[in-house]
Amino acid sequence: MQDTTKANLLAAWRQRRRNLAHGWYKYSRNPLSVLGLVILVLVVFVAIFAPYIAPYPGHAKAYTNFRDASQAPSAQHFFGTDRIGRDIFSRTLFGYRFSLMIGAVVLGLGVAPGVVLGLIAGYRRGTWVEVVIMRVTDVFLAVPPLVLALAITAMLTPNLINQMMAIALVWWPWYSRLVFSLASSLRNEYFVKEAELTGASQRHILFREILPNCFAPIMTKMTLDMGLVILIESTLSFVGLGVQPPKPALGTMVAEGAKRLPAEWWSTIFPALAIVIVILAFNLIGDGLRDVFAVEDV
Amino acid sequence: MPNPSSLLEIRDLHVGFRIFEGHLRVLTGVALVVNEGERVGLVGETGCGKTTTVKSVLRVLPIPPAIVTRGEILYRGRDVLRMHRHALHVLRREELTAIFQDPLQSLNPVFTVGSQLRDIVRDSMRTPEGRALSRREIEARCIQALEETGMPDPERIMSNYPIQLSGGMRQRVCIAEALSTTARLLLADEPTTNLDVTIQDQILRKLDRLVDQKGSSVLMITHSMGVVRDLTQRIYIMYAGSIVETGPTRQLLASPKHPYTQGLMASVPRLTGRGVSEGIPGRIPNYLEPPPGCRFHPRCPHRMPECSVEAPPMFDVGADQRAACYLYRRSPS
Amino acid sequence: MAKYIGLRLLQSVFVLFGLSLLIFFIARVVPGDPARQALGLLASQEQVERVREQMHLNDSFPVQYYYWLRSLLHGDLGVSSYTRRPVASDLAQYIPATLELILFATLISFVVGQVTGVLAGYFRNSWFDGVSRLVSYLGIATPSFVVAILLLFVFSQVLKLAPGIGRIPIMMQPPPVRTGFMMVDGLLAGRLDVTVTALKHLLLPAFSLAVIHIAQEGRITRTSIVETMQKDYITLHKVHGIRTSRILFKYLLRPSIVPTVTVMGLDFAFLMSNAFLVETVYMWPGFSRYAMTAMLNKDLNAIVAVVLVIGMTFALVNLIVDIIIMFLDPTVRLRQGGA
Repeated sequence: MQDTTKANLLAAWRQRRRNLAHGWYKYSRNPLSVLGLVILVLVVFVAIFAPYIAPYPGHAKAYTNFRDASQAPSAQHFFGTDRIGRDIFSRTLFGYRFSLMIGAVVLGLGVAPGVVLGLIAGYRRGTWVEVVIMRVTDVFLAVPPLVLALAITAMLTPNLINQMMAIALVWWPWYSRLVFSLASSLRNEYFVKEAELTGASQRHILFREILPNCFAPIMTKMTLDMGLVILIESTLSFVGLGVQPPKPALGTMVAEGAKRLPAEWWSTIFPALAIVIVILAFNLIGDGLRDVFAVEDV
Repeated sequence: MPNPSSLLEIRDLHVGFRIFEGHLRVLTGVALVVNEGERVGLVGETGCGKTTTVKSVLRVLPIPPAIVTRGEILYRGRDVLRMHRHALHVLRREELTAIFQDPLQSLNPVFTVGSQLRDIVRDSMRTPEGRALSRREIEARCIQALEETGMPDPERIMSNYPIQLSGGMRQRVCIAEALSTTARLLLADEPTTNLDVTIQDQILRKLDRLVDQKGSSVLMITHSMGVVRDLTQRIYIMYAGSIVETGPTRQLLASPKHPYTQGLMASVPRLTGRGVSEGIPGRIPNYLEPPPGCRFHPRCPHRMPECSVEAPPMFDVGADQRAACYLYRRSPS
Repeated sequence: MAKYIGLRLLQSVFVLFGLSLLIFFIARVVPGDPARQALGLLASQEQVERVREQMHLNDSFPVQYYYWLRSLLHGDLGVSSYTRRPVASDLAQYIPATLELILFATLISFVVGQVTGVLAGYFRNSWFDGVSRLVSYLGIATPSFVVAILLLFVFSQVLKLAPGIGRIPIMMQPPPVRTGFMMVDGLLAGRLDVTVTALKHLLLPAFSLAVIHIAQEGRITRTSIVETMQKDYITLHKVHGIRTSRILFKYLLRPSIVPTVTVMGLDFAFLMSNAFLVETVYMWPGFSRYAMTAMLNKDLNAIVAVVLVIGMTFALVNLIVDIIIMFLDPTVRLRQGGA
């Protein structure tokens, strides 16, 4: 008895390895997707080790040095310095920390409830449970996410935690809707009916039967969403509703620098480019994933 | 040397597909000829490469992942595979026409039948003097084309969308489209397979008569012996990407020489006589790792050692009939 | 058809109702005293108390909501605590400016997006396709405020090709406000110079808004075109001799356009949000800047009104998009029952 179970597990493990290899093959066909992955790895690396890599880590906190203020990019300051003398390069590196952290937290907070609600609503389609969940989802989706996030953050005190909560609050309905449509079509599949007939609990059906089949679209969406969340976060910071100075958020840096265009172009352009690069990386990866999961017929 | 009276001549065509798992070797040395005024059948089961062959002639294979590794497709002496884009467009417009298997996929779903038919007539026909047709002339030609296919109430059909028509009507529209232009060669890929059995016959007869009227040549692709028996003069039997037997239709069907063809004939259920037949044991080969030599040999009741070494060439087996099987080695062609 | 529209409108009303509840709830739950906010720090406690009575702030939540809803249905959106004017008249003043911007941006993004998408899809893997894919990747990855700043920087400040901020130059006398659309008002007042200048000033901000949508829609169009090109019927169109230009812009475009239009509907939401940023950068006196100011100043009445207006617009646009799709794709229409 034990041997067959072990054999089954081994076979499943091998199959999973093979799927992974197949997936990587397909993914690596597209040089852009690989580029995205490379960029992301660099960004993550830089973000994690920012305190050690940044030439002037102290500049990410309260620091003023008017003597070195407003200097153009040079060997000492790769991206130049800002109005009060802080090294923009170091601050950009720390800015990445905030962006990635916010992205991870928001998705962590927002995706899970959205997925669970979508599963329940999709599986119980046609009952009052579905109606309630989906109407609430509709209400949250009635307004563009940026506007809602702005409105909510504006009404609370602008700081990091509130910003994250606001964006997470705005984010869950998208997953709810996605998983709802997936689940409501999947619930008629044979394996679900089988599970029902053999008396599986609802929790088993939802999480062990239906959810694994939604994995691909959810993963793809999450990757693309990371880029979007960072975009919204930088927008909120730009407007002044995000992380408050002196903490370095990329959007805030762009806003501060924008006032001094065109003369001190470096204080805006570099943080702006940094934002674009990280969002681009997530988009490329997301697209690559989408291609991997796409069904091809030869 | 291209045969002077041949319309279409495919020579030694090798087509493959590159996918993750490797290289799918689909077509291996397909050779066939259609002469002026002939009706030729290409018979084989699903997956044997018939549609790939047709798509190669029309040059609509998706080029990656498909790849033509060898061969020529000569239309009146010119190699279709190496033509320039413009020449290809002219060829498609003026010489070739086609009917595909699924009539729903063959018609653009967001336009009316009339819209599509009118544009076909408008862009491909000219009066004998060479000027473009007037609106009235175009309309008349469209109605005429639909009438010829036996459509009741063609005016109403013109303003319908494909989704509003039944399968049989849709296929009639496709036929009308195909035959409303000047074309010397019609490539018909399983034109009645998706239709109800009751109207298959009707449509085929209509097609037959129309082709007759036009004097076109036909390459009819099908998996049905019945279709081929009634409508073609010569047939090619295809298995796993190459031609295994060819000859005049009646003759070949009466006395098939290749073991595969014999198996096919034996599989056709008969209404009289012994009951349900057995079919051919085994399955079509995996194109990734095809069997060496003759691709049929694993399923062949007459296989010999040399069959797994190298694929047999065509040998003469009767008047104008040839089969690719070492059983007939005594008389090479 | 009419039944379908009616049903959709009813649905929207419910959703907006829920939305108003949500926003109202958040607005009232938030710490801070709206009355104090309105009166300022110097007002006395009694004055604040009196205003609190007026604003029903001491009543229970459902009561407050009832009063608010009642005034809403009378067209009274409350008074902005920032501008001290009725919110409704603020909106009337600022909305046309934003509409001008959004409509123009939509036009640009549609035309440019479709053309590049069709060409990129048809000439798949050509240099044009490669370049446009690269550009669209960048376009999607760039937040609108970055685009706005960059374009302003490059075209206005460095190259000095386009005018900078604002709808018309500061020195110019604006025409009398009839429609609120600067170009139209200029025409109505017989002042073509206004119309022309307004158009020039509209270009950069509209284009900044449009960039991300050109990128997005161009890509969807391209993918859609590539998919459609695999279909049998396109092959047959070619075989039957239909002209290439006709195949491109009639038979290929129409079946492919449905996903694009769907995306345009969803994108409109982003268009409205990005208008916020573009207006800020270009100092455009529009609805979005008003909304932004309201949010930054905790002007609750204005915030609620703004969110509702946006919600309504969004619902309306989605409905229009769905109707357009029904026209473009007869299969959808026929399935809906009754054409």
